[in-house]
Amino acid sequence: MQASRARLFKEYKEVQREKTADPDIQLVCDDSNIFKWTALIKGPSETPYEGGVFQLAFAVPEQYPLQPPQVRFLTKIFHPNVHFKTGEICLDILKNAWSPAWTLQSVCRAIIALMAHPEPDSPLNCDSGNLLRSGDVRGFQSMAKMYTRLAAMPKKG
Amino acid sequence: MSKRVLCKFFAHGACLKGEHCEFSHDWKDPPNNICTFYQKGVCAYGSRCRYDHVKASCEQSYHPSSSASLHPLNSDSSILGSTRVTSNGAATITELSSHSGPSLPIIPAWNGESEFHVPDCFNAWNPEPVYQGFLQDSGVSESRITDASERPICSFAAAGNCPRKEKCPFIHGDLCPTCGKQCLHPFRPEEREEHMINCQKKQKHLEALKRSQEIECSVCLERVLSKPSVAERKFGLLSECDHPFCISCIRNWRSSNPSSGMDLNTTLRACPICRKLSYFVIPSVIWYSTTEEKNEIIDSYKEKLKSIDCKHFDFGSGNCPFGTSCFYKHAYRDGRLEEVVLRHLGAADGNTVIAKDVRLSDFLSNMHLR
Repeated sequence: MQASRARLFKEYKEVQREKTADPDIQLVCDDSNIFKWTALIKGPSETPYEGGVFQLAFAVPEQYPLQPPQVRFLTKIFHPNVHFKTGEICLDILKNAWSPAWTLQSVCRAIIALMAHPEPDSPLNCDSGNLLRSGDVRGFQSMAKMYTRLAAMPKKG
Repeated sequence: MSKRVLCKFFAHGACLKGEHCEFSHDWKDPPNNICTFYQKGVCAYGSRCRYDHVKASCEQSYHPSSSASLHPLNSDSSILGSTRVTSNGAATITELSSHSGPSLPIIPAWNGESEFHVPDCFNAWNPEPVYQGFLQDSGVSESRITDASERPICSFAAAGNCPRKEKCPFIHGDLCPTCGKQCLHPFRPEEREEHMINCQKKQKHLEALKRSQEIECSVCLERVLSKPSVAERKFGLLSECDHPFCISCIRNWRSSNPSSGMDLNTTLRACPICRKLSYFVIPSVIWYSTTEEKNEIIDSYKEKLKSIDCKHFDFGSGNCPFGTSCFYKHAYRDGRLEEVVLRHLGAADGNTVIAKDVRLSDFLSNMHLR
């Protein structure tokens, strides 16, 4: 408990110090609870998510960093490895390949990488996965782009 | 001979005279704890004195085997003289009996409070030439002792500052290039060598410690050597890679519950940064900069463990799960070491495998009885 708090505090200071270091990630800690974080990440360029801003919710366990944080998308996203309804993310480093050397910041980076390189063979969103697996890249991209427009971009007008 | 009384400088961890010291460098010998001021009649500390207040006559009973007893004890000076025979040879008797007796009360003004008790070396059986010289006028000892290597170097200069400068009756040692102090005896080559080696070792350790200060653990993100509790201020070295962690962090991670399908070998036992598999963690106070240094740390750690009895082996009555690769000592109660018998078996694929203990129960458990 004490160790996780100390470590999160370190990460908080690091985030404050290097706010501008990574313009694609904006990591914010909950005002009253250091175990709750939210992040805003920009969709990577040359993907259907380009131009969108996605919100992530972090729930950090007390055993952190020995156990991975629980991360989910708050913004709706059409991606084979993200559950369409709950926003749950299927990513090995958040499950069995976690390492205590990862930080919340680096988890965000890993999620951005996952957005750019979907893994359709272990899908949480079967419709999305099936589109990619059947080779309908264009179909997948237009669906993903549509949801990015709908959910991850500021409404016009 | 005279090496009966424990050298008090040696007891404090640093005697500049090394093997040339006329006092004993053997922990088994008793320390000299008799107040010389009391011998002279007055000790300013009285009952608070940290030295023993016993009369000279009692001293004989303290150390009846002392060589001083060979000589008649008539006066103070004869006591002093008689013991000199044993330590430095007859040449010094005259010097001591003629000079040191009367000049005893003269204590240089700069000999502060802490030095006030120095003359405890003046004790009956073992006067120490260093202070003899300081108490006498300069030059006396120089003319008597002819062999330069017999003469001690000035301990004040060796500590960094001799208040007598050029007027000092003692040899000022040569400057040690490592520690920058005048502590190398010009005429004792072995001692110089020894000091240089020790000094360099110390210096190296200090530098390594300095470098290690900055190193952060990637698990707690703190500087390892600045952790709140002393027990945590240690590195945990992984055998297969060079990533630094606190010993507590890496041990916690390696022993944490492999929940949610974490694999022991690919996740927990791997380096959190590079995921290289290491089978053991080595604790170390300093971080290394070269592979040789790392190997040295690992070797000395294993060496240390080898001297500790394995709790699983339990002098032969237990069974150590680590078997022959255990770092701890496998010895029976009579001190006999465990004999390692490896059984090589030809496996079905033609390779040779090393068999562990084969027990009948292993076969029985696989049997299906109907």
